[in-house]
Amino acid sequence: MQPAIVTLIMGILLGYLAQRSRICFIGGLRDFVLVRDTELLKGAVAFFITAWLAFSVAGALGLVDWRPPTFDGSASAQVVAMGIAWSTTANNNVLSLGLPVLMISVVAGIVLGVFSTLANGCPTRQHVLAAQGVRDSVYYLGGFYIGVIVYNLVTKPLLALIY
Amino acid sequence: MSLLTRFPVLASIVPRRVSAVTYGVVAGLLAVGVQVFFGVKPPPAYGICVACHTRDVVAWLSNHLVGTQWEIAPVSIPLPLLTTIGMLIGAFIAASRNGERRKVALGGHWRSFVYGILVVNAAIVALGCPTRLLLLTAYGDTLALLAVAGLVVGILTGTMLLTRGIVN
Repeated sequence: MQPAIVTLIMGILLGYLAQRSRICFIGGLRDFVLVRDTELLKGAVAFFITAWLAFSVAGALGLVDWRPPTFDGSASAQVVAMGIAWSTTANNNVLSLGLPVLMISVVAGIVLGVFSTLANGCPTRQHVLAAQGVRDSVYYLGGFYIGVIVYNLVTKPLLALIY
Repeated sequence: MSLLTRFPVLASIVPRRVSAVTYGVVAGLLAVGVQVFFGVKPPPAYGICVACHTRDVVAWLSNHLVGTQWEIAPVSIPLPLLTTIGMLIGAFIAASRNGERRKVALGGHWRSFVYGILVVNAAIVALGCPTRLLLLTAYGDTLALLAVAGLVVGILTGTMLLTRGIVN
């Protein structure tokens, strides 16, 4: 089956469960810090442990190819690889990437955390809220889509100066 | 939902109350499952990512309609992954079925708009949204672990900004 169709069905299921559970991976830590509520945090931990176990089992059964992906010529025309984004996965010598790349990852993580917290939820939660009719989240989604254009026109050329 | 009222069996299967842990377990299994059994790769550990899949949808449309050559995940080149569209549909169904659809005007709309722009940029640079960062870390990606560390620092900082009233 087409990956697009598979992910569409998966998305519908996830969207349903996310709305019912009010899941938010950002909100998990925030709620714990603010009011010592661990409900959402447990969801994030459960996701991580489940994925870890599932990858381990699938790997033991030989279903996972741990080598970094390679891209053939036809794809590379469209895949303007950032280099780090897809090729270093599960690569042990992360230090060989150099300090700038490592720092960009940490800084991007911090920016992601700060503004997701200020926006009142992770991207998943914002999608759910937008579907529920919360106007703020609809605007957020607008920014989310425009942001991809901003990324390609502004952020990526800026990053290319550093790499 | 007319589909659910027409088929009571379906309604009894689809739960009304879901715990966060249930979501975590189901999402974890699905994220790995679509990669292993349905070929949602490369890149690996790409089963669920709100930011990257949005990027793929926008980049795919732009590449096809305007002729740009924006980066797009190899798996999304024939057709973009539609996780985020599905999430909107699924959440809409869940909210409608449980009477939780509402129109709330909280104000600060344009600020949310700017947050959206900032978050998607940071997420793409950091290799993914919080969900995919956890997924990548579970896959064994050290770089994603660094981003998760940054994410934790960021959330703590953001929470502090909120509690101190620096940003409301």
